[in-house]
Amino acid sequence: MAATERSDRAGAIIAAALALPGVCAHAENAPEHGVVAVKYLHYQDSQPGLQRIRVEAPSLYVLAPLGSRWSVEGSAVYDSVSGATPRYHTAISGATPHMTEERKAGDVKVTRYNERSSFGVGVSHSSERDYKSTAGSFEAGFTSDDGNRTWNFGLGYASDTIGSTNDATLHESRRTAEAQVGVTQAWSANDLFQLNLTYVGGRGYFSDPYKEPDIRPRKRDEAIVLVRWNHYFDGAGATLRSAYRFYRDSFRINAHTLGAEWVQQVGSMVTVTPSVRLYTQSAASFYFDPVYDPDVGAPYPPGYFTNPPQYISPDQRLSAFGAVTVGLKLGVQITPDWTTDLKAEHYEQRGSWRVGGTGSPGLDPFRATFVQVGVAKRF
Amino acid sequence: MSRPLRFVRSAFAALLAAGACSGCAFNPPQPWEKGNLARQEMTMGGDPLDQRFVQHIYGSKENASGGYGVGGGGCGCN
Repeated sequence: MAATERSDRAGAIIAAALALPGVCAHAENAPEHGVVAVKYLHYQDSQPGLQRIRVEAPSLYVLAPLGSRWSVEGSAVYDSVSGATPRYHTAISGATPHMTEERKAGDVKVTRYNERSSFGVGVSHSSERDYKSTAGSFEAGFTSDDGNRTWNFGLGYASDTIGSTNDATLHESRRTAEAQVGVTQAWSANDLFQLNLTYVGGRGYFSDPYKEPDIRPRKRDEAIVLVRWNHYFDGAGATLRSAYRFYRDSFRINAHTLGAEWVQQVGSMVTVTPSVRLYTQSAASFYFDPVYDPDVGAPYPPGYFTNPPQYISPDQRLSAFGAVTVGLKLGVQITPDWTTDLKAEHYEQRGSWRVGGTGSPGLDPFRATFVQVGVAKRF
Repeated sequence: MSRPLRFVRSAFAALLAAGACSGCAFNPPQPWEKGNLARQEMTMGGDPLDQRFVQHIYGSKENASGGYGVGGGGCGCN
């Protein structure tokens, strides 16, 4: 009986392998099964003395094969946002009044699968009271004859409109185009590598209408290199999922992100996944430290009125800092078609944690907790 | 050579070094050896809703974002 189960399980895995894009001879088949998944996210961030933003977000994901050559997938999320956030640096006295906001977002993608290629077209939309974004994408994948290497190419375009609940006259826009090329290589029977190169060009309004003073360039170019490596350990029955990302933009911010997850199978039904993520970035060229004009005071830096800078921002997110996330995920295979998962993560960023340089001084630590619970059904 | 291009070159070198250090010589699998690669946790995308959540959070609290795919729009997150 046990031997039969093992044989069935091995057969199922091999069958799945033969249907996985980039992993087999007939790489570009539509998925054999559909998936419906729902998740609920709770998010709360804070700094010493101030509970900042809280988000409650239910979401839905659907993947459906349409015959053997097509698939459609989409997701929808509703964010309920409340709380307060500093207008400059981490000053509690300068925090915005308690606000509430909602955000609705959705995306749909249709993919066509050919013998050794696939082509996908996607659209997405996100709507808030003061921010709307519409985006489109085109992706193409080409798989080698042996099915061990897939080249991916992607193009994206987004059009955003920005307003402000504090300023009814603000009607700004931003256009963003992106291009990506990537390769995924089955390195061995237990190793999968991926390299993605992305270039993003944005034009328009990048300032934050809720920060003061905040004037940013109307152009931002970004270059991103992503390397991912997944390794399966036969003896441990576990998978190491690792990733490194380098980011650089025309605001003169360099950022490095290193992540690792250890997916440990426990018995036949349970997976336990501890994870860690390390992040560090330099400051934008126009970010200023919390040192204020001795005459005028916060939030204006010395000399702001006598010799105003072309660009300026007191946004903590543009400062130099390091951040650490630790997390734990529990997944349970309830039946062959039903799964459920629970994940909790704690995030903290500090100026003193910056790696490879000096962090921005004078900012309070920023902390966040995010918890998500989900259930999925295969059909 | 610009800094991004220099980094791309370094990334390729790191990729090769990681493969060498892991003890996994470049040995692409045969079709019947792909069972482990087909495991859900071995796919690059992982859990789609989980990824959407965390990338959205990091994109709203850090300057760097993207690199994982194309087509996402912005938000007014604070």
